[in-house]
Amino acid sequence: MNVHSQAAAAQSDDGIALGADLLHVDNISLSFGGVKAIQDVSFDIRKGEIRAIIGPNGAGKTSMLNVINGFYHPQEGIISFKGRERRRMRPYEAAAQGIARTFQNVALFTGMTTLENIMAGRSLKMHRNFFWQMLYRGPALNEEMEHRRVVEEIIDFLEIEAIRKTPVGQLPYGLQKRVELGRALAMEPTLLLLDEPMAGMNLEEKEDMSRYVLDVNSQLGTTIALIEHDMGVVMDLADRVMVLDYGKKIADGTPDEVQANQAVIDAYLGVPH
Amino acid sequence: MGLLFDIFINPFVEMASGLDFLLQVLWEGFVSGTLYALIALGFVLIFKASGVFNFAQGIMVVFAALTLVGLHALGIPAFLALILAVAIMALLAVTVERVVLRHLVNQPDIILFMVTIGLTYFLIGFGELVFGGDPKSMITEELGLPTGSTVFDVFDGIVILQHLDVAAAVISAIMVAGLAVFFNKTRIGRALRAVADDHQAALSVGISLNQIWAIVWFAAGIVALTTGIMWGAKSDVSFALQIVALKALPVLILGGFTSIPGAIVGGLIIGMGEKLFEVYWGGLLGGGVEGWFAYVIALIFLLFRPQGLFGEKIIERV
Amino acid sequence: MLYREAGQFKTSYQADQAAFPIFQDQLAVWAILAVAFIGVPLVGNDFFLNSIMIPFLIFALASVGLNILTGYAGQLSLGTGAFMGVGAYACYKLTTIFPDVNIVIMIVASGFFSAGIGMIFGLPSLRIKGFYLVVTTLAAQFFLEWCFIRIAWLYNYNPSGAIEVPQREAFGVILTGASATPVTRYLLVLSIVVVMTWIAFNIIRGRIGRSWMMIRDMDIAAELMGVKPLNAKLSAFAVSSFYCGVAGAMMVFFWLGAAEVESFDVNHSFLILFMVILGGLGSIKGAFMGAAFIWILPILIRAAPGWIGIEVQAATVEHLNFMLIGGLIIFFLIIEPHGLARLWSIGKQKLRVWPFPY
Repeated sequence: MNVHSQAAAAQSDDGIALGADLLHVDNISLSFGGVKAIQDVSFDIRKGEIRAIIGPNGAGKTSMLNVINGFYHPQEGIISFKGRERRRMRPYEAAAQGIARTFQNVALFTGMTTLENIMAGRSLKMHRNFFWQMLYRGPALNEEMEHRRVVEEIIDFLEIEAIRKTPVGQLPYGLQKRVELGRALAMEPTLLLLDEPMAGMNLEEKEDMSRYVLDVNSQLGTTIALIEHDMGVVMDLADRVMVLDYGKKIADGTPDEVQANQAVIDAYLGVPH
Repeated sequence: MGLLFDIFINPFVEMASGLDFLLQVLWEGFVSGTLYALIALGFVLIFKASGVFNFAQGIMVVFAALTLVGLHALGIPAFLALILAVAIMALLAVTVERVVLRHLVNQPDIILFMVTIGLTYFLIGFGELVFGGDPKSMITEELGLPTGSTVFDVFDGIVILQHLDVAAAVISAIMVAGLAVFFNKTRIGRALRAVADDHQAALSVGISLNQIWAIVWFAAGIVALTTGIMWGAKSDVSFALQIVALKALPVLILGGFTSIPGAIVGGLIIGMGEKLFEVYWGGLLGGGVEGWFAYVIALIFLLFRPQGLFGEKIIERV
Repeated sequence: MLYREAGQFKTSYQADQAAFPIFQDQLAVWAILAVAFIGVPLVGNDFFLNSIMIPFLIFALASVGLNILTGYAGQLSLGTGAFMGVGAYACYKLTTIFPDVNIVIMIVASGFFSAGIGMIFGLPSLRIKGFYLVVTTLAAQFFLEWCFIRIAWLYNYNPSGAIEVPQREAFGVILTGASATPVTRYLLVLSIVVVMTWIAFNIIRGRIGRSWMMIRDMDIAAELMGVKPLNAKLSAFAVSSFYCGVAGAMMVFFWLGAAEVESFDVNHSFLILFMVILGGLGSIKGAFMGAAFIWILPILIRAAPGWIGIEVQAATVEHLNFMLIGGLIIFFLIIEPHGLARLWSIGKQKLRVWPFPY
């Protein structure tokens, strides 16, 4: 597929070898007033892997993703992405650097159709100026069509052709999640953050979504960071798993290592006091 | 240099040299601030309890006052007219709930807001149709409100206090205290706050949305009637009040949309600030600055503290 | 039976994203344009042109402007009247300073002034959302109104405080002033409105329009997709105010002939907002429907008692108008929050499958 080869080409451009560190998080701490959401967490994401972040509710997983794409600014710590260090940045800068994201509670543009939503993911790739936009002719039109083609490929890939022109507000939850994935894919990200992509889905939908996640990872070569509560899914998909509890990192390693870790078992099952 | 002097020094010199005049200006600002605060209070009540930003509050003030005056003009004794006016406000509350709000549960805030703009227009048309469009004077004396004034000697000068203004301040204070108790201490008050948070969740724990909305619109109606009487006594009762009522918006910005003390403090700040600015600085700009001063203050304020004086800091979540 | 898309297959994405993908719709649009450009000037009398068509078109353009800001970019504004005023006063000053330049150029140029002012008052929208923004736009409204009164330079120190439209001609045809014919003014207004509507439509379906809608629907997600809120919001304010400014300039130059600050007061802001709500937020054709409805309905109501031979006081009719418009706003928001435009598309859908229900 055209989009895949394009994306793969784009990703080899950043000069990071498969398996090398793509994202590095050092000693991040984040608090809201007195509430410490994240305390001194460090971890890395390697290029090409599927990295899972798990932990009980309120462990700081979503906050971690918010820090990575610049929505929250941590009080302490440094993040480096593609070898570039930063302390503060705006979400749109993160997007420009190639970080895409889906949300725990679907955050689609409800007033727009599926097609428009995925086209919205192409925003950063479109550059024609106001004058051509006004005329909707020439370069602006060509650009629009070029991106429409890419978007149609994504629609194809996710098997959502039938709902192309449906306003997403009217779609069932499972499909909304899929459209949201499509919108993130349209950004051709280097790093894709998925916040509970399978929450509230039935078994079949979970299987479908798992297949898409694996396909994206293997065919497009996109690095994925994933928050998920379904341990079966996590253990099957992830290359490495990090476990957070009360804002602290309590374990990090392959799924098997993490599964055997006593601290993790305690965190999930509780420890007798 | 001259301009800087006129802006930063001269007004303060004037203030210091005429303390009695300054006090008079502040008092007048305080009085109009009370009225802004009362209108804002009506907004806050409805916003707190239904999440509806009631644009029609200003027109409800006019409508309530017009009803009272109109009934009296028909030959009904003042106190009976007052009771009837209260009854009509209750009727209005129930009608608004039945005809409008009931059909709009869980609609986006913006739709609810625009509905109240529609309501504003409807009430303007209806009020003018029934009572006529020309200004009327409030039946101050018939209602037993004091009308005299007292002159105080201070700072080698005089300050004049209208008894009516004093009464307005006192009545407002009593009403605010009553509402605060109502909101914080009663079962209905708790239900009101629950409804404001989430319509559906409130319904699911057995709170009757319809009843709550009717009650709170009625409460806002009573606040409106009180405001209308006070305001009408100071000037005429006419639909020109509508523009003045818009000033409650900057007051709300300052005070925060859900805070009763915020509405009061915001009202007083706007009322007094506006008078001071008009008297001491307005001349520099050619006068008439009262029209926009409140909004510009609110705008500047918003840039630094978007949640208002008493609002909670907003943490955005995704 | 006549209105079908069956058999009209799209063979390119371009055809699929055309303005009117259905052939019958294209026909209808050309027919409407033909009637507007040829039919109306031929048969319309002065009253029809002056009191119905010209103001309708001007208000429709202002509604398109407000719709861009409120309907597409989701920023509620009550400053429309003042932004229209900026356009009008700017055009007046421009044509005083450069009397020889074609008035149409001046009218378009005045749009840039209101766009600039609109952007300044749009700046708070970066920090302020929803109802709070209403207050900042009201600040714009009242502050600008005050400027229109206090800055005498704006109305050339005219003692009456009004701006009066001078006579301007181009290519030997009188375009503005008392001796310009209604047909000339109508055609000018129509041309400007048609071109600007077409442009608005293009912007909305392209990248920029999408960035507005993204901000409207979910600003956080929009930012995470790389949309800069600053650019999106300010461009919406600028484009919207440009449209309002041009509408304001045309209102004075091609319709009223003279104007004071009352022509741009907060009631006008409401009027335009009502047109947008009634027509449908986020719909260009809705802006036209809303403007037609709100402008023409009161005229009919005023005329109606005369037709059936009842004497009603003018004031009473005005009051009834207020009630009716207010009532309609409430009615529409309850029945169909998306306005006339949605009703229209529901009707079209019915027509498409007629005579079957589904």
